[in-house]
Amino acid sequence: MSEFVKAIRAEEIAPGGMRTVELKGHQFVVCNCGGTFHAIDRRCGHMNAPLEMGTLDGTIVTCGMHCAQFDVTTGEALAGPVPAYLGNEVPPPRTGALLRNVGLFMQNVRTEPIGCYPAKVEGGWVWIAL
Amino acid sequence: MSTDSRKNALRHFFARIVEPMGFKFTPDEELADFLLAQEVKLEEKHGIPFCPCQPIRRDRARDMQIVCPCIPFHRKHFDAMRRCWCGLFVHQDVTDPTSLPQMSAKDLGLE
Repeated sequence: MSEFVKAIRAEEIAPGGMRTVELKGHQFVVCNCGGTFHAIDRRCGHMNAPLEMGTLDGTIVTCGMHCAQFDVTTGEALAGPVPAYLGNEVPPPRTGALLRNVGLFMQNVRTEPIGCYPAKVEGGWVWIAL
Repeated sequence: MSTDSRKNALRHFFARIVEPMGFKFTPDEELADFLLAQEVKLEEKHGIPFCPCQPIRRDRARDMQIVCPCIPFHRKHFDAMRRCWCGLFVHQDVTDPTSLPQMSAKDLGLE
């Protein structure tokens, strides 16, 4: 059964902002969506990048690494990575081989939903249900 | 990833872009829904929500000009029509989108 755990002072996160907290050995990102707080897993469902380094727009968080997007209210993946544009120049052979190799792995990486957790504000603190 | 969720996300982001330019989503909900569904499919295929009504030419510079909402790249043309090429966006004062025909820039004397 989940219990609410004190996470961070609400005033420490401006509207549209995100902060990382570590509770019970697990990292979360607390999001302030215009005064309503939501808690999600810190790691992106695409390639594990830290989501607080991305951007929060409304209730949609965009990962700063490959721009995968998630709904912070449900954890649902809304979009996969945006393809990189490497320009028209042909890369040097070794770089080209490396990029092809990375590409082979990347095309099999799925964007999975992330965990999201009920959050509430009480006594000026954000509490997360764990 | 569900199509409906992605459509809602695109609505959220697009509204923020088109409203300051004097446009809004077409009041024809059925059309808007259909066009957004096509964009979701294009985004799944190419990683980018291209305009569903214009051809992808495999020319990066030109293709970037048809990423929805492509209004800034065709401003004169779309302002003259009071809608975008697909009809997904119309001028904010438009209440009857069926009264706005799709006309080429050439027909409007803009080329």
